Amino acid sequence: MMDAFLLALGGVTEPYTLMLMAVATFAGIVAAAIPGFTITMAIVLTLPLTFAMPPMQGIAVMLSVYVGGLSGGLFSAALLGIPGTPSAVATTFDAFPMARSGQPGRALSLGLFASFVGSLISIVVLIVAAPPLALLAVKLGPWEYFALIVFALTIIASLVGDSVMRGLIAGLIGIGIATIGPDPLMARERFTFGYELLTAGIPFLVVLIGMYAMSQLLSELEPSSSSQQVSSSSLVSGDMRPHLWDVIKSTLRKPFNILRSSLLGVFIGAVPGAGSSISNLVAYDQAKRASKHPETFGKGEPEGVVASEAGNSSTVGGSLIPLISLGIPGSPADAVLMAAIMVHGISIGPRLILDHPDLVYSMFIAMAVASFFMLFIGILMMRAFMRLLNVPKYIVVPVVLACCAIGTYTLNNRLSDLYLLAAIGTIGYLMKKLDYPLAPLVLGVVLGPIAETNLRRAFQTSADWSLFFTRPISALLLALAVLSVAYSIYSYIRQRRLLAQRAEAAQNGAYQDDVSQE
Amino acid sequence: MERKTPDAALVPTLQLASYVVLAIGAIFMASRAGSLPASRWEPMGAGTFPQLVFSSIAVLCVAAFIMELVKRGIPRTTLQSAFQRLGALKSVLVNLGLFIAYMIAMPFAGFILSTFAYLLLAQLFLAPKRPVTLLIVLGVALLFSVGPYYLFADVFSIYLPRAQW
Repeated sequence: MMDAFLLALGGVTEPYTLMLMAVATFAGIVAAAIPGFTITMAIVLTLPLTFAMPPMQGIAVMLSVYVGGLSGGLFSAALLGIPGTPSAVATTFDAFPMARSGQPGRALSLGLFASFVGSLISIVVLIVAAPPLALLAVKLGPWEYFALIVFALTIIASLVGDSVMRGLIAGLIGIGIATIGPDPLMARERFTFGYELLTAGIPFLVVLIGMYAMSQLLSELEPSSSSQQVSSSSLVSGDMRPHLWDVIKSTLRKPFNILRSSLLGVFIGAVPGAGSSISNLVAYDQAKRASKHPETFGKGEPEGVVASEAGNSSTVGGSLIPLISLGIPGSPADAVLMAAIMVHGISIGPRLILDHPDLVYSMFIAMAVASFFMLFIGILMMRAFMRLLNVPKYIVVPVVLACCAIGTYTLNNRLSDLYLLAAIGTIGYLMKKLDYPLAPLVLGVVLGPIAETNLRRAFQTSADWSLFFTRPISALLLALAVLSVAYSIYSYIRQRRLLAQRAEAAQNGAYQDDVSQE
Repeated sequence: MERKTPDAALVPTLQLASYVVLAIGAIFMASRAGSLPASRWEPMGAGTFPQLVFSSIAVLCVAAFIMELVKRGIPRTTLQSAFQRLGALKSVLVNLGLFIAYMIAMPFAGFILSTFAYLLLAQLFLAPKRPVTLLIVLGVALLFSVGPYYLFADVFSIYLPRAQW
């Protein structure tokens, strides 16, 4: 164990790797700071650049983009009032008023320090939680694994989007897409309809780039969102000095806020489907509820900035818990990390930590190092980031779309993947417009083959299907899956009823006003 | 209540249509999966799992369709509002068209030329028409078409598509 740790430490702290990680952290911050450019896009576009690197170095670089990206949204949130990524929505509530009141430097360093502490706390939890969970997961049979994936997909479908039904349909479409091409056990060709294009199946990264990056970029061109382009220089002026020491002192004087927000972030990050965009809002909301002066929230309250940023950055460690210990990615960004590891011929699953402990340790160390880079690069380059935020959409959208094409082609050096990208991107945009959540679909493509393999293995072991319900862990997971769908249907009905009651009350009130006026 | 106007009823109408299309597609795929031969080595053949998945999609789509109709009735939209909405998405549609053309052209025209042409046209369409922006657009198109080609070829030994002529 110590050998593996030292090997990982030596690998990550190599000067060349450190330099690459610093550049990657910087790139992650910049990418996430540009509105319309999401963290997932940044990680996907980094992937082809890591092909030529050794696995440890490649993963360290991609994790640096991830860690940098989680704090990058802060810059556009504080300076423009627009969240650079969906995970910085709550950050705008207090960071922007604070920056507008003449303290942009303080708002940014508060957010950066909170992100830094949040990431570190999440790494500690990851180190403590992942190995025992992996040891437990090694003992799971195909019944439990299949049930686990069903549970993960139902959770994702219930948490993302407005309709559980469309979430479940999207997840199943993803699994359906994954069945195209050779089957995972016997390699029998399925649903290729004689097209050579489909014989190798549809690579999940092409689905991810098409569904996530393309549909998001095209949405950016819609009239309502493009009209929000604001210039940072026209909005924010004032003290750009970071006041780092003051910020550290004031944050650590009230440790409960940052600790609570970080732990919430870790927990939410560990639940498949619930990522940084949810934890950012939940942590902010909890900080407001716990505050003795909630009325100051929304007007530039430092605790609000700390809570929202610690909340989103701490998901990084949480989301890696299911990936490292179970081989199940909880978000599209984690799915790309999984692909990056698999590209180097390393299989992901509970045995990862047993077979490649050096790689897992290097992930822990790389995340900690990237957190330091994120803090220092963020503080030192505050002014430069302000300029970078003004990259207009007419450059960002076509350039990133072209980068998506490069990423798609370089994955397998296959020209036919480009046609698939165009087709999947168009379908993805259409589905987004029709309000189908895309995260369950993308994760369905990743989890589908794992689910099929385990289901068929279970039946190869025993033809008795009741084992899924009689083995305790499998039964528990399937029950949880049913509960998660039932609960989200119940909360949807409750929400509708509340809305209807409110509308009725408003109508009655208007009627009574009319009567009294008469 | 938000579906009283034809414009507001457009998305629900399209959603209902999507359930029908998906259900038909899923039934077709499930029947194709059923025609895959059974395995001699295992109880579940290559077709069983996809059959299960596509049948579930069909069932869910039918359920979603019925639930939507029972809950909110038939949404009433007009072709005019559909065309209006489509017109508002002009930037998206033009860009999507350009991107599809770019993907089709890349295998023949090569990476550098197709990317340069795509970036130039897409940016010219979106950018405000000013002499300075024209220069920026040209510079960006040149940088991001030639740059990645040589970066990938020289640094990563990955060769992006070359022209076929």
